[in-house]
Amino acid sequence: MINPQKKAIFWVIASLSVAMAPQIVRMPLTLVAITLFPLLWRIAAERLDWKELPALVRHAATGAALITLFFSYGNVTGRRAAVSLLTVMLAMKLIESYRIRDARLIVSFSLFLCATQFLFSQSILMPFYGAVSVIIALVALTQLHRNEAFENLGETPPVTASIFSELGFSFRLLALAVPVGLAFFLFFPRWATPLWGIPETTLDSKTGLSGSMSPGSIQSLFMDDSPAFRVKFETEIPQPSELYWRGPVFWNFDGETWSGSFFGKNITAKSRPDEQDAPWRYSVQLEPNERHWLFALDYPVTTPMDSRVSMDFQILRREAVTQLLEYSMVSNPQFTDTPELTVELKASALDLPNGSNPRARELVSQWQEEGWTGPALAQHVLDYFNQEAFYYSLEAPLLGQHSVDEFLFDSRTGYCEHYASSFTVLMRMAGIPARVVTGYQGGWYNPVGDYMLIRQSDAHAWSELWFPDTGWTRIDPTGAVAPARVNRGSLGALSSPRHMLDYTWLRNMRNGIDVVQQRWNDWVIEFGASSQAKMFSPLGLDRMTPAHLVIVMFVAIGLFSLVLLPFILRTKGPARKDPLQLLWQKFLKRLQSAGYETQASTGAIELAQAAALSLPGDAPAIYRIADLYSRYRYSPLPPPFSEVKNAVKDFHPKGSAV
Amino acid sequence: MNTATLTTQNNEYSRRFDRWVLERVRQKRGSPELPFTLEYRHIYVMPTSFGAWFGVLLALTAIGGLNFNNNMALMLGFVLASIAQMTTLLAYRNLSGLCLAGLRASPVFAGQAARFKVLLKNPEARFRFAIQVKSEEAIDCADIGPQETGQLVLKQSTVQRGWLEMAPFRIQNRYPLGLFRAWSVIIPAARCLVYPAPALNPPALPKAGHGEEGSARQGEGEHFHGLREYQVGDPLRRIAWKTSARHQKLYSRVMESPSEDACEINWYLMRGGSTEEKLSIMTAWILRAERLQIPYSLEMPTAALPPDLGEEHRDACLEILALFQP
Repeated sequence: MINPQKKAIFWVIASLSVAMAPQIVRMPLTLVAITLFPLLWRIAAERLDWKELPALVRHAATGAALITLFFSYGNVTGRRAAVSLLTVMLAMKLIESYRIRDARLIVSFSLFLCATQFLFSQSILMPFYGAVSVIIALVALTQLHRNEAFENLGETPPVTASIFSELGFSFRLLALAVPVGLAFFLFFPRWATPLWGIPETTLDSKTGLSGSMSPGSIQSLFMDDSPAFRVKFETEIPQPSELYWRGPVFWNFDGETWSGSFFGKNITAKSRPDEQDAPWRYSVQLEPNERHWLFALDYPVTTPMDSRVSMDFQILRREAVTQLLEYSMVSNPQFTDTPELTVELKASALDLPNGSNPRARELVSQWQEEGWTGPALAQHVLDYFNQEAFYYSLEAPLLGQHSVDEFLFDSRTGYCEHYASSFTVLMRMAGIPARVVTGYQGGWYNPVGDYMLIRQSDAHAWSELWFPDTGWTRIDPTGAVAPARVNRGSLGALSSPRHMLDYTWLRNMRNGIDVVQQRWNDWVIEFGASSQAKMFSPLGLDRMTPAHLVIVMFVAIGLFSLVLLPFILRTKGPARKDPLQLLWQKFLKRLQSAGYETQASTGAIELAQAAALSLPGDAPAIYRIADLYSRYRYSPLPPPFSEVKNAVKDFHPKGSAV
Repeated sequence: MNTATLTTQNNEYSRRFDRWVLERVRQKRGSPELPFTLEYRHIYVMPTSFGAWFGVLLALTAIGGLNFNNNMALMLGFVLASIAQMTTLLAYRNLSGLCLAGLRASPVFAGQAARFKVLLKNPEARFRFAIQVKSEEAIDCADIGPQETGQLVLKQSTVQRGWLEMAPFRIQNRYPLGLFRAWSVIIPAARCLVYPAPALNPPALPKAGHGEEGSARQGEGEHFHGLREYQVGDPLRRIAWKTSARHQKLYSRVMESPSEDACEINWYLMRGGSTEEKLSIMTAWILRAERLQIPYSLEMPTAALPPDLGEEHRDACLEILALFQP
């Protein structure tokens, strides 16, 4: 077994470290420690010349790592768990990689690891990560190649290159490869439908609104500034008070948690709004969230691909959204949702757990005694919220068994979900069919990109009441307490910032910068088979078939190669420096500083003779260096390099030139 | 001459492929005349096993990227493929224009490895990285700077005396990433003289006159034998002043006290043993006589040399032995 030269192994470690960086920050802490151990061990082993670990220890370490991995993830079928497995195994490979073959395996798998990271994120920053990974890996491969070439000599390659020139060479390779890579990217025919499906659990965790609502669930979203989706309107942008993005709808309440109903999820909407006079046409670009809900304004006219619209107008996708998803939508608010409510649904929309919230029940019967019924009662409750001392705040205390009672009479401080939940419960107590709708409200209009950005923090909950003539009608009790929530967005309604860096100007800046990500999504992430087909439509070619694309691809590659060929051929490789030459130059410099003028083209011995004449005091040293130099260079039995080095190092001309 | 297969690879397919290429080269261009400049038609580029493996990995990345419509993974795969493709050109260019300037080997004794020196001249102003020469048995590698000549050595084991033909070899490189190997096959027209292996325990040196024709070489008094470079301790009267003046270097006359001291190495006086054994013993005698500075003569059925000393005489004698055909 031959040690790859130390320099090369450090580049291999660097290559792996860079590639695994985004993965490692997502791994459980114990697993991070286990992954970093072999890395650090190898660095220490190379620095301190430790021996290779015994096979038993290596296998034990690998086994321990695997067991930890299984315990951390439960299984390795998920995408993150599978990539963690790859990362851990690659790191473990480091403790036993003493052959160039193994080192190359690590480098090439590091590049593969880098590719897997794009499954988790394709943000605008990822190309930089990719470029750095590739450059470091190329340096590692270059070094391994040199070690392999000189392997049989049993000695280090005689000349070395500086780190900058190694990096520069790799950078040049990468830069020259990008145009042809781009031609491949644009014209290589894509698959319109995948060959195999994508596992549902691919992301680290589900994000965004969930299939149930319990106190605090939306509140936690409120701290999350990541984008939920982006919307581009073809028509006029609706007023803020109309921007209710409908998501999960809840019918069932167990006193604490709201959840969806069987009917709501499984029965398809019978009637749909009219498309002709629909005022809003737009396309939604939904960030992956591993959930099934697609979001739309009330009421969706069209049904996106692979999804259905339920009877309570949730749009449910067959498969969870694991990748950026774009769909176009038409919405028409002029619609009567369910003019006739069946007995079963009515019962389910009035159902409440027995014996809960007695004080609220009392309050409702008091209102009913005062003569309030139907829509008037609903308005009365809204006024009640508005006039009594209710507060809209994030710092809501946790509520107990009689959550509505505690909220209405004790804390009186809450967030949209408290108001929606309490209001719906009050309405049900009064015999008005009611349900909770969650979704997003508002959004930030980006004038540069002409689109609306809806962040997770825009999550919202409101109520819907059913009245015989109007069907299901949206009532937003939060609007009664904090009208600013509806008009100025969720953050504008708060009196204090959520955290230290929560400033309006900073938020505006972030929202503005989002246009870069949006463009990136539009042009790069969303590029696919359909974009390819339409690529040349401005030139009159309506539809590109894969065969056309391949032709165009080869023409493009040919053209690019023709242009780039001279640059590729001029690529010099990392500039190798001859350490002996460097020493000689140092010697010449010292001679010069002593006053002796050197001529460039004289041979070593001649130069020594001439220099000895003008510096007679140093003649022996000069002769010695010249002799060592020429023997090291030309003799079949050269002196050790250290001897040449020390001779030059100790050479300090005493006199000055005659 | 053994027809070499040119590879140390264990893989039967690559061995067969190499044999096929070698046969093709043998038929198409045979041995090159030196100096021989590598041009595009002499250079082949093939992926290494690491290159093939890397290709599989790239294909996997691309298929995954296509399936999940993951554009960044695809882009990474395509850029890496494009880099790999570019390195074929760099590997080729690292070799093309290189000039095989000479092939040399000093004689060796059978059993010793012959050292064929391969002189590779880089006539251009660019650096040649990690150029390798590789035969079936040996490999050597060097960086060759601008306008430099790299001297690479290919060892080749010897068994028999006589001429040893240099085995076919490759000039190759895997620059810059080791993904592709650019190579050119050379069927060299070079040979190395292999002297018989000296016998380990030869009998005592045969003194002249002990044989039947013993008196033939007895001289009278001191007589001139040859010249060698002046060594400290040589008497002044021995210095060959005229020759020294001509060569600007001091030479001493080597004088010989003849008769009893001279030894006669004679094929016809060898008793017993096979031809090779006899040659082995004679070789050992020549070396010993040279070491002891005893003049020696050689008589073979093919040639005869008068008693003498010195490297030239020794080499001439050994060559006769090496090439002797009974």
